[in-house]
Amino acid sequence: MVRHLPTLSIAMSVTSLALLTAQPVSAETVTLGIGTQDTTTNTVTAGVVIRQLHLLEKYLPKDGKYANIKFELEWQNFTSGPPVTNAMMANKLQIGMMGDYPLIVNGFTFDSNPESKSRLIGVAAYSLSGSGNGIVVHKDSPYYELADLKGKLVSVPFGSAAHGMVLKAMQDRGYSADFFQLVSQSPEVGSTNLQEKKIDAHADFVPFAELLPFRGFARKIFDGVETNLPTWHGIVVRTDFAEKYPEVVVAYMKALIAANQWLRDDPKLAAEKIQEWTGINKEVVYIFLGPGGNMTTDPTIKPALIDAAATDVKVLQNLGRMKEFDPKKWVDDSYIRKAYAEMKLDYDAQLVSTKNYEISGEDVFCKKPIADPRKAGEVWVDEAGIVPFSSAACTLGAYADFKAKGKKINVAYVFDTTRGIKLFADQAFFAVGNGDVAPFLLKKDAEAYAAKISGKVLGFDDAVKASVSGGKT
Amino acid sequence: MSATTAISEAGPVPATTPSATPPSIGTLALRWYRLNQSRLRAIAIGIISLLAFLLVWHLLTTYRVVFFVRFTNVPSPVAVYASFTKAMHDPKFLLHVVLSCRRIFIGFSLAAIVGVPLGLIMGRFRLVHEIVFPVAEVLRPIPAIAWVPMAIMLWPTNEQSIVFITFIGAFFPILLNTLHGMSLVDPVLVRAAQCLGARERSIFREVYFPASLPHIFTGLTVGMGVAWVSLIAAEMISGQYGIGYFTWEAYSLVQYADIALGMIAIGVLGLGSSLLIRGAGQLVMPWRLK
Repeated sequence: MVRHLPTLSIAMSVTSLALLTAQPVSAETVTLGIGTQDTTTNTVTAGVVIRQLHLLEKYLPKDGKYANIKFELEWQNFTSGPPVTNAMMANKLQIGMMGDYPLIVNGFTFDSNPESKSRLIGVAAYSLSGSGNGIVVHKDSPYYELADLKGKLVSVPFGSAAHGMVLKAMQDRGYSADFFQLVSQSPEVGSTNLQEKKIDAHADFVPFAELLPFRGFARKIFDGVETNLPTWHGIVVRTDFAEKYPEVVVAYMKALIAANQWLRDDPKLAAEKIQEWTGINKEVVYIFLGPGGNMTTDPTIKPALIDAAATDVKVLQNLGRMKEFDPKKWVDDSYIRKAYAEMKLDYDAQLVSTKNYEISGEDVFCKKPIADPRKAGEVWVDEAGIVPFSSAACTLGAYADFKAKGKKINVAYVFDTTRGIKLFADQAFFAVGNGDVAPFLLKKDAEAYAAKISGKVLGFDDAVKASVSGGKT
Repeated sequence: MSATTAISEAGPVPATTPSATPPSIGTLALRWYRLNQSRLRAIAIGIISLLAFLLVWHLLTTYRVVFFVRFTNVPSPVAVYASFTKAMHDPKFLLHVVLSCRRIFIGFSLAAIVGVPLGLIMGRFRLVHEIVFPVAEVLRPIPAIAWVPMAIMLWPTNEQSIVFITFIGAFFPILLNTLHGMSLVDPVLVRAAQCLGARERSIFREVYFPASLPHIFTGLTVGMGVAWVSLIAAEMISGQYGIGYFTWEAYSLVQYADIALGMIAIGVLGLGSSLLIRGAGQLVMPWRLK
């Protein structure tokens, strides 16, 4: 049997729909395949949360032409974007989510598909400064910044958002293409190789740059913020499905908005649930998706992200991996706009806002309100929950206090003093002196700041001791 | 290596051997044709069937046939050929092929060197069989891809990890087929040799080994196939070179034509290496030559 022409198939589907509405007795079952990336923490609100909380079922249209259509949801989980694209091309999945680089490869690959194109319909999460991607080294290695890796073996999953970050970082610093020995390894392979010290560094996307240090064998030496190129994850749909069932796509966007709301209502519970569903440690989930986290969950399609996608296209073209592709034509914000309108929310207001939700409340240790959320800190106490503090010094002081009282502490968070990204306190470098405690991701930043305040750079344990003896600030 | 030269000598031999009285070229050609008739026929049919395969592939993809199986997005032979010419102009592609062949060669050779003697010993001594067999049966069904993390941790360099995975792939078919060959050795032959005063070593060399050779070669052929099957999993570790890595990278960038090119390259290389083994088998077992 030869493939139908698109117009013919649309005509046929229209007639079949007309037939269906004419015969209300016969119910039709439509399978909707959704490709998620559960372990890629910044896609969870678009995937696993909607699935587990049955949010899509809640918003699926049930009247009009949908009165006799039963949707069967088929969720499939993948560890990276390309297999999602592959399954979407094969029409096994109609909706999929992935990071920026795999997304444009998805759009480009669909350009040659005669049955259907793909369209970007919403964003799961983004970081305008490029946080989320990062480069980690083994914790025992002598490397503390990118320049230390000259001539070393660095692995990164080719074609991923992290690959883009590495290329941008090299371009920014004027490094030649052979500055590193760059090889392609998937997260699973790269992680094991790093643990075994077979490679000198591994660059990866969310959540590995945080997860590997949290698991105890790696140290982050480069964060995507240093590239200042936005990184994001988005949702794509097959146009043949979207044109046939636009209301279902709108329902999906509503479910996405609801999932974001659920996350922000109780980030601690959300982190715990996401750990239960995906196996990624809740402390790692929280550093990305908690208040002041390194990812902002926001479904609106911001022009800055599409501009970044255009930059990504150029990178892929320079590598000879892609021909002509215009990300602007690939965006379709009609579904997400409709979802916002039907939920009585203001899309345009959200579109221009790049605010994340932040840490707030009263610092019970230093007894003052939290004024600057990006100078604040948090301590996750096993039973008491996540307690906010107004400064890094107060956070460390409270940490020591909790310890002295014999409380079990999961993890403590502080913010990088200049870059404003959330850090695991026990991985940070602290510039301490003159009653000031300033946390940093990078040793060199901490050293520079310490010189300025004529203090010194301490590791976490020493910084905690110093904050106890130095008193509160 | 000696197998390669052996084949190239064995091939043209009938064509170039002149008879004592110089007959006319016509009768010579006719005689050569009669001698090789069945082989020529096989080659001709083989070429026709490959061409037919190409044609069917071309038609299915050009008309994007959907008949339960969907060819809508499968790359056409023309697209794959375009990838091929591009790859031919890229010195890296040759490097991919050469490195993969080296990995297969080392992994397979090690598997043969360990697997065949171990199989012979297991077939001869029950205790060894009882000790080794359960372990082998547990390890055998584990797919190559599942070995990847363990292989990385076990070996100091990545190259060794990759060779290890191809070794694992080839090892079990070789071991089990050797074992099977040993179990089929006619006990009458062994007893006859013993009656004639043969010692253990001679029995091994003169009876067991030749008798199980056909099965050993079956094992080697199957083992070579499985070694190539394991290649993609193995070369996921490499991150840089190898035809398996080439295919894997094409997958992670969703380049269907390159994926097909990688598949075909693996197929052709696999065919070539199987032919080598078959040639070696005919050389070692001339009594089985057709």
